Amino acid sequence: MNARDVAERVLGGLRERFDSVVVKVVDRNAAMLKIWNSQPGVLQMWRDISVYLLLGKQRRLTVLEFEVGSPEEVLDAVRRIEDYVTRVEESELYAEPPEPREPAPLEGGYDRRVVDHLSDPKPLAEAMVSSALSSGAERVAGTLELGEVEVAVATSRGFDKSYRKTEVVTHLRSLRGELSGHWAWGSTQLDVGAVEDVGSRSAGFLELAKTKARFTPGRYDVILSPLVVGNLLNYVASMASGMAVLLGMSFLLGKSAGDAVASEGFTLTDAPRDVTLPGLAPFDDEGVETYNKPIIRAGRLASLLHNTATSRMFKTTSTGNAGWTNPRPWNLVVEPGSSTFEEMVSEVREGYAIMNNWYTRLQNYVEGQFSTVARDLVLAIRGGSVEGYVDRVRIADRFETLLKSIKAMSREVYDVSWWEVRIPTRAPYVLAESINLTKPMA
Amino acid sequence: MIDEGLLVSAVELATSRGATYAEARYQEDVSDFVLMRNGRVLSLSTSVVRGVGIRVLVGGSLGFAATDRLDRESVNAAVEEAVSRARALAPLMKRPIEFDESRTGRASYEVVPKVSLEDLGVEERVGLGREAYKAVGGALREARLAVFVFGVRTHVQRKLIVSSDGAYVRSAVPRISVWANFVEHLPERGTIQRYADFGASGGAERLKEWRVVEELVQEAQSLERVLASGVEPPKEEVEVIVGSEIIGLVVHESAGHPMEADRILGREAAQAGESYVKPEMIGKFRVGNEYATVIEDPTIPGSSGFYLYDDEGVPARARYLYREGLLHEPLHNRHTAKLFGTLSNGAARAMDYSREPIPRMSNTYLKPGDMSFEELLEGVKLGVYMKSYMEWNIDDIRWNQRYVGLESYLIVDGEISRPVRNPVLELTTGDFYSKITGAGKQLRFYPGTCGKGEPSQGVPVWYGGPDVRLSKIRLGVAA
Repeated sequence: MNARDVAERVLGGLRERFDSVVVKVVDRNAAMLKIWNSQPGVLQMWRDISVYLLLGKQRRLTVLEFEVGSPEEVLDAVRRIEDYVTRVEESELYAEPPEPREPAPLEGGYDRRVVDHLSDPKPLAEAMVSSALSSGAERVAGTLELGEVEVAVATSRGFDKSYRKTEVVTHLRSLRGELSGHWAWGSTQLDVGAVEDVGSRSAGFLELAKTKARFTPGRYDVILSPLVVGNLLNYVASMASGMAVLLGMSFLLGKSAGDAVASEGFTLTDAPRDVTLPGLAPFDDEGVETYNKPIIRAGRLASLLHNTATSRMFKTTSTGNAGWTNPRPWNLVVEPGSSTFEEMVSEVREGYAIMNNWYTRLQNYVEGQFSTVARDLVLAIRGGSVEGYVDRVRIADRFETLLKSIKAMSREVYDVSWWEVRIPTRAPYVLAESINLTKPMA
Repeated sequence: MIDEGLLVSAVELATSRGATYAEARYQEDVSDFVLMRNGRVLSLSTSVVRGVGIRVLVGGSLGFAATDRLDRESVNAAVEEAVSRARALAPLMKRPIEFDESRTGRASYEVVPKVSLEDLGVEERVGLGREAYKAVGGALREARLAVFVFGVRTHVQRKLIVSSDGAYVRSAVPRISVWANFVEHLPERGTIQRYADFGASGGAERLKEWRVVEELVQEAQSLERVLASGVEPPKEEVEVIVGSEIIGLVVHESAGHPMEADRILGREAAQAGESYVKPEMIGKFRVGNEYATVIEDPTIPGSSGFYLYDDEGVPARARYLYREGLLHEPLHNRHTAKLFGTLSNGAARAMDYSREPIPRMSNTYLKPGDMSFEELLEGVKLGVYMKSYMEWNIDDIRWNQRYVGLESYLIVDGEISRPVRNPVLELTTGDFYSKITGAGKQLRFYPGTCGKGEPSQGVPVWYGGPDVRLSKIRLGVAA
């Protein structure tokens, strides 16, 4: 039974019992090879069918998620909750499923070669690891994930469609002594060269710095690698969700379309129709056709991300980003600039290039106050040249300040997905001025 | 629950196909969740996730396959896949994976709530959220309650673990948690935000014990004072009393995580990172003074991280991570224990059926001292008391850490004084554990979800400790 059959079966069993039903089914076949100390740590494999339900009854709303193997068990489980659905008040978020429309097809997101490698990821892993070790790494760690999914959405209004896609997400950390470099790549298409490039690029960073430099906390010009840009923009884009704004989890609370939130040269787009990025989707979880849209255009807030319910609360229309109950971005694309990494380095009098980060946390979402910790290489730049490296500094600033401080972006962009960049992101290197960096000083 | 014969035959099939170790774990996680905003219901949610995770060791290569289809054919197919694909990778193993000789258990246990979670009606959950919203909004004098989000979650986890090394462990653990995220706004002072949560294993009786509404009201009023009149922290070196909520997080991040043996060995290098701790430092490296005793204990009754056998079937026990300043005992599963030449101490946990068991924390705390809060304050000429936090992080070797205080106060001449806004405690792990000059006698625990592994695994934990006094700290202030 494929995803669409499951969706239809579940919908058929529920449509008479609820006023509105939206069913999403994700049928997944995936494998992930985890590598550490340059050898396989574990090969993990999954075959599962997840069923997600959005059920409305007398304007009450229930969201359900199942990994139980069969439609019959889903229907049995729904009976367990059926009696309490109407025992609460009407939901502000209740909305009829949208009138079904035929979404424009989206071809090219399925690559048979990915599926072929699912049962034997060894050659790809070997290529990536060899590439790193021959580029200067002493040891490597990372993952190679391959998967195919079929996604089906069916609604009580008559929408009934499915799509298939594949994905390759891989990242590798190259370590040598106290230095490390990290790179990542994500795509719907298998590209052996790109997988090897993850290895060689992660190790290549190790050659950029030879000696340790001094660090004093303060405001500096900072070059952010695509991994860092991806991580921080994952937060920014998630805070563009209408639900994040409603829940007070966004620095965009109180802002309107057209408000300046970034520097003029910065444009961030949600791109579900980019078929090479793994987050692609021709329609959203309510069956609404997706489209590429700027979240921030030329430095100004262009659009929040909405499903039918949040769009109604904001008196606008769905942006094709459902998500129940939380609208979400699919893929993120940053418009490239005209610079190169080397040109950015040459422009920095005193600053740092941060090649990777993790552990981004906020003191106050509404104010956008955050900090994040650099990991892997941080290059100290003095007088336009790399002087050496420092380790594990922290960016501690506000998202709006950071976005408004962007002065340059590279013309080359990179498709990154990894543990700290969950929403696939196409990002350039970014140069931002006067960003607050900290570190405990002994 | 699943037919246990299915798991037994899966293990037998794996060993008959050449696996030197096989484990079949059925896990079922059933959650109900109510989400409310400003006293009104946004949605009710239910999640049912259950299936079987098969883990095999073949030729020194580790394979894991998960399926949510519980018929014999699907489970056996997962076994065949795990075995054959692990075998295919065996030639790449320069150092074949082996497990230790730990004794595994044959047992059945269950947490029995005083008040069943099934008896906690949806009306009661919603009523609590509505009452909390009204009470918090009504308690503010000047600030406006910009948004108040409230959630109640119940979760029942059932497992059956069967392995070729004799494990047979059946368990059932119910959990309940409540959280609130609220934002207060004063036009001339901006906003202040708090995420507060309560969590434990057990049943609906916890709601009364937590006094949720009273606690939230008290916090909201305190934070209003911080927002209205909070000053910058002193710039000079001062003494800092770190509240138990922050202490719990500090020990989780800078004692628990760096003492996970898989991190120490590099298995998490590309994800949650490695550790400042190296294998040869155990028992020898001094990270702090005599106050630096951090204990990890999955067997604490009522805790979020409660279990009696881990997900490899190894009996759980308390472990001293740091003991009077020395690195003492890392957290092990059977794989890392073998590499350390020891036996597992029962730290293997998996988030759900679709995840591999890896070394995890359960309930981590700093050993309490013998001082009252007043005694901690005594003699502090100028200092800061940081009671709660929002922002925190730590580097990937667990050495450089940062906590931004939320409810915080100046201490002047041994007494709590004006509120302080956004003080930043940014220091190294060595500094923290070496600068403790006093520890309170009251041990408090806080709930959390600890993240690690790839795909990411969030597991419920408690972390805690007493209030602690640190000397010679230079605080920063958030940008």
